[in-house]
Amino acid sequence: MIRFLIRRAVWIVITLWLVYTLSFFLMLAVPGGPMSGERAYPPEIEKMRKDRFHLNDPWPVQYWYYLSNACRGDFLSSQVLNDYEVSEIISQGFPISATLGVLAMSMALILGLSAGIIAALWRNSLLDVFFRSLATIGIAVPNFILAGLAIMIFVFQLKWFPAAGWGKPIDMVLPSLCLAAPFAAYISRLTRTGMLDVLGQDYIRTAYAKGLMPSTVVLKHAVRGALLPVVSYLGPAVAGILTGSLVIERIFFLPGLGTHFIEAVTQRDYTTSLGIVMVSTALVLVMNTLVDVSYQLLDPRIKLK
Amino acid sequence: MSSPSTSHETLLRVEDLRVEFHTDDGLVTAVRGVDWELRAGETLGVVGESGSGKSVTALALMGLIPQPPGKIVSGRAMYRGQDLLKMPSRALSDIRGNRIAMIFQDPMTALNPFLTVEDQLTEVTRRHMGLSAREATAHAIDMLEKVGIPSASKRVFEYPHQFSGGMRQRVMIAMALSCKPDILIADEPTTALDVTIQAQILELMKELQEQEGTAILMITHDLGVIANIAHRVQVMYAGRVVEKATVDELFANPRHPYTLGLLESAPRVDKLEAELRPIPGQPPDLSKLPGGCSFRPRCPFSIADCSRIDPPLVKSNSDGSYACLVNIDEAPRHDATSQISEELS
Repeated sequence: MIRFLIRRAVWIVITLWLVYTLSFFLMLAVPGGPMSGERAYPPEIEKMRKDRFHLNDPWPVQYWYYLSNACRGDFLSSQVLNDYEVSEIISQGFPISATLGVLAMSMALILGLSAGIIAALWRNSLLDVFFRSLATIGIAVPNFILAGLAIMIFVFQLKWFPAAGWGKPIDMVLPSLCLAAPFAAYISRLTRTGMLDVLGQDYIRTAYAKGLMPSTVVLKHAVRGALLPVVSYLGPAVAGILTGSLVIERIFFLPGLGTHFIEAVTQRDYTTSLGIVMVSTALVLVMNTLVDVSYQLLDPRIKLK
Repeated sequence: MSSPSTSHETLLRVEDLRVEFHTDDGLVTAVRGVDWELRAGETLGVVGESGSGKSVTALALMGLIPQPPGKIVSGRAMYRGQDLLKMPSRALSDIRGNRIAMIFQDPMTALNPFLTVEDQLTEVTRRHMGLSAREATAHAIDMLEKVGIPSASKRVFEYPHQFSGGMRQRVMIAMALSCKPDILIADEPTTALDVTIQAQILELMKELQEQEGTAILMITHDLGVIANIAHRVQVMYAGRVVEKATVDELFANPRHPYTLGLLESAPRVDKLEAELRPIPGQPPDLSKLPGGCSFRPRCPFSIADCSRIDPPLVKSNSDGSYACLVNIDEAPRHDATSQISEELS
């Protein structure tokens, strides 16, 4: 286990470096730059602004300058919002995105697991068919369409939720639901398949033969095995929720990391976009490690090496 | 093997049990009206090929037939004045694992891989005997020692994958016998084990039966197992009981052509010179049973009446009974292989 974690940490560092390098050069390759605004400055001022961010240096020098700072955890100041450090922008946006993401993930898990378990236990019942169709729709409909529809129905027609904003708990419901929907749908299908697979196992028959109550058989003997595919999906799901929240934050005007990221990229704010990319990457890598660890906790036959 | 050691009371009486399955290929009648009884302290062997209805009979008693597709069409299974087949599921689950316990063919898959052996043993005694967590653990360790698992107090906290196949079957037996059941249903308990382990498990079951007086219903396709452990035997073919006899009588003097076929196709230490003769053909498709006797197409003794009459069980000279129109000791024997190919063409 310890060896696994050490090895994983090494891989995380290597992956972070690769992602940083790739993003850095991709950004440089994109036409335009942080200083190419609509207004033309006199050449001296232009040069001064660029010098401040070492943008006139040859690219290996720039790369080294930014990378060495990033290694110390310093993403420098935003190249567009001059008064802000990148770390300030991240620390403002992150709590909002994290709340949204955690809420969405919890909803996806609660809705997906319960729908999947119910669908499996009452297989081919009306409820099962209903959940399965809902899941198909949830997977098929992109979240920006879902969010648009949800706003039309719940905000403008039924007036249940405010259209945008962030602060009151009610503001969080609709965005996190829209963000959670496709993941809830996918988790419910994984859970249903997993449950059906486990319920057909010999050890479930043994559990019934022991005279256990059906609820004990399901909760104690079946659910654990059925959770395994769901747990292994959580890693990709975290990554998916991160990218999904880019769109959802934009639609609901939430000042989260996603919104900042899109702003930063469109304005070629190299430092800010790189900072956000690195935070997201680190998050996904850490979550994947946690998933692998919890896999071992769930299934005693798995030993991490 | 010894004759029935006891003339004990009847524990379980099954009457006219019929079980059907609705499958994509149509209606399959897995069990077609079987009657039998199990007496206290005895071992009743049930032999037959795959698909002969041996396991389905046992699962039906335990209420473990998935319904649908399965359906118990008729029958009674009287245990202590109650019909197991008509009992509400709550009451039946009070009996399952408690008064009637079951062990299965493959100990590799019959134990839950996610739970420790302790978890799986204690949940039975806590449920049925109302033991506290600590008492249940102590009881679990006792049971593991009783079935011969070394350093039981340590191994009880391990997971099934840390046990070998034979050890797992011992764990299953310990689990099944935890509440001192009246009846142990063993569905091919040695089939998945290698031969030396098989012998150990059978010895263990005999030993425990002597100590606890548990009646055993031993379901197997292996005549060796029957010879080793059973007191009385019933042979099943295509969902019916075709012969019942004491174990000595069955091996010495089989009355049904199918029993004879089974005996002739198995190697025997006491008749080493005898040629092995397989039973020709395949067991019938249970969704399209032939009219008359279902063994007729494969039977070397069949006569014209066999395709008309499905013979009922009749008493033999000894204690047993059999379902056949001919006396196989006197009837002429013909070649069933050519009979099958003739009917196919």
